[in-house]
Amino acid sequence: MAPMDNLSSEELMAKIAEGDNDSFEILVSRHQTSVLNLIYRFIGDRTQAKDLAQEVFLRVWQSAKSYEPKAKFTTWIYRITANLCFNELKSTRRKKWFSFNWSDEDGEHTFEETLADNAPSAEDLLLEKERSSQIANALQSLSENQRMALILKRYDALSYQEIAQVIGCSVSAVESLLVRAKRTLQKKLKNFEK
Amino acid sequence: MKCRNVQKKLSAYQDRELEPREQEQVRSHLLSCRACSEQFAELERVWQTLGEFEEIRPNPWFYQQIVRKIKKPREQRLFPSLQWVPRLLPAPVIVFILLVVGILTGTYLGNILSQSNIFLLHYEQASETVFTSMRVFDPAPPGTLAEGYFRMVSYKEDDSR
Repeated sequence: MAPMDNLSSEELMAKIAEGDNDSFEILVSRHQTSVLNLIYRFIGDRTQAKDLAQEVFLRVWQSAKSYEPKAKFTTWIYRITANLCFNELKSTRRKKWFSFNWSDEDGEHTFEETLADNAPSAEDLLLEKERSSQIANALQSLSENQRMALILKRYDALSYQEIAQVIGCSVSAVESLLVRAKRTLQKKLKNFEK
Repeated sequence: MKCRNVQKKLSAYQDRELEPREQEQVRSHLLSCRACSEQFAELERVWQTLGEFEEIRPNPWFYQQIVRKIKKPREQRLFPSLQWVPRLLPAPVIVFILLVVGILTGTYLGNILSQSNIFLLHYEQASETVFTSMRVFDPAPPGTLAEGYFRMVSYKEDDSR
């Protein structure tokens, strides 16, 4: 398996198309953390993030034969991830409406509670969680596109061009999404920094 | 470069997305302008703060769980994929559709039955049944001892006349 570790993700995809399971395992281990965290930061729920991340790789496997390396592999897999995230949010909103559950509509406490559920008992870790939940709430206050653009820029260091490809908009639109997102976060995280 | 222009470009400057010449212009402006450099420092602080967001790790069985999903028979994967169908219609819409269908069906059946004689016959019988059953509230309901007594009394009264 060692020589295959040196293969690019695009080359691994070609091997997966031929039915090579080992290549798929390498590809998953290479991208699982970034995909999982992108979803987690966007959706704000660990369990949902894990399920969706698996769904992303399921789709990668299914579309291996039709995959054409036109863009970077990371851009392609992030595009799949972003689409799944947007669909999941739509579906969650629909479910809430469907079940007449209006209580979480503002989404004000949901993320905080989710993190608190997973919080360890140690005080220092709890403090870290608290800070994390404040950042999470600030992120949740952004629009879907702003949040996705910001996460891709801050945590995955994608260029504006790549973010535009992932979200499916122009480069100038990405620029203004990020300007607005940063402005909102400056207000939301003002107390946090002091 | 003027402050207004610089402030517009601060975000792109931070992301290193400006042309090299512009990037340099903003950089030299920040060195000389306190207001703009403070604004940029604020932007940088927020960026640093975002870095404190925890990172989660996938569980050790992550790959095996994906493989299990891949190996699942196609039929089992098909049904969950159809679960979105009812989600298309939210509850109020379904209630409204059921209400409309109910009203239309009721009206249709009512029209058909009112046109048939059988229905009229049944209707008369039914109204008789209703009136008979309503007599349980009489002071002397039919078939009771009290009714027999009242009959006897009224018979005697008729006789005496």
